[in-house]
Amino acid sequence: MPPWRRTALMVLVCAAGLSGCATLGERETAASRAALRFERSVRQADWSRACAALAPQTRQELTESAKTSCVKALPDEELPYAGALRGSEVYGQQAQVVLSTDTLFLSAFPTGWLITAAGCEPRPHQPYQCKVKGG
Amino acid sequence: MNRLTRFAKHNSLTLAFGTGFLLTLVGQAVSGHADFNNQLVTDGLHPLGFLQYLATSDFAVDVTENWQSEYLQFFLYVFGTVWLLQRGSPESKELDKAGVESDREQKVGDHAGSESPRWAADKGWRQTLYSRSLGIVMAVIFTWSWLAQSIAGVAAYNEEHLRQLQAPVSWLQYLGSADFWNRTLQNWQSELLAVASMAILSVYLRQRGSPESKPVGAAHTSTGVEG
Repeated sequence: MPPWRRTALMVLVCAAGLSGCATLGERETAASRAALRFERSVRQADWSRACAALAPQTRQELTESAKTSCVKALPDEELPYAGALRGSEVYGQQAQVVLSTDTLFLSAFPTGWLITAAGCEPRPHQPYQCKVKGG
Repeated sequence: MNRLTRFAKHNSLTLAFGTGFLLTLVGQAVSGHADFNNQLVTDGLHPLGFLQYLATSDFAVDVTENWQSEYLQFFLYVFGTVWLLQRGSPESKELDKAGVESDREQKVGDHAGSESPRWAADKGWRQTLYSRSLGIVMAVIFTWSWLAQSIAGVAAYNEEHLRQLQAPVSWLQYLGSADFWNRTLQNWQSELLAVASMAILSVYLRQRGSPESKPVGAAHTSTGVEG
């Protein structure tokens, strides 16, 4: 969505009194930081830190499908080198962070934003195809 | 009868339905919160507290989609019954009175009485505006609610899309989406059905003592008579 439309939408939502708008920008920044931290951990092969950044169900799905621990399974997924931040969008408790070579989905938890899916590529009229995802 | 009791009796219709509205809104919030959290837990996500849920777009869209349709119903009813008739219905005017009627019948301008609202006696824009104020307010609330539905709706839709690993859509894209029109039309059809059935059923059926019904002994053919 173009920036002016997002701004207009935020103003309208504020006017309608439907959501806490003051923190939307901060939440997008927090989600972006969480995604970049995860990508940095992957790039540095810090697998324990990368696994800690995954949402519980995503980690569980990874370990169950690989039948091994997260730190051993995650390197095999060959997540792409992420590159620069292109944009992020937050709606409620969910976020999407788009990097130059990867797209990540995140969800808000009491500890902060955790990765629900990574290594995602868009498909026309279908959900993203993700190398790591929950459920 | 003391003042409070008299006030309650004289305003019991508004008080009863207003209280009922608040209670059912709380009920909707409680059940909506449980339903929303069920979906989050199913997807392995963290559930929300009750107050957090009240600030979600999911709750807002569920509330506003019903509000807009109710106010659309009353707006159409208020405006439509100026011109549209139903023989035998207490919801309709007499068959020869279709239209905005004369100043004399409407007690406006020179025909306004000492107890008429001040703007009814005016001969300019105030009378024009006041003569349509009920329908206009209904239309404004409908428009505001529908706009709020679309704004909350796109946020709720996008939140669900992100949970399902799909890209979010813009507000304009959402206005053309199946979700927006399904939410809208499922409410409109029920409101229009309610109005149409009320207009025709009240021709043949009675509710003794209700102003929404004709007197029990009134003929099926008598129109514009309230009990």
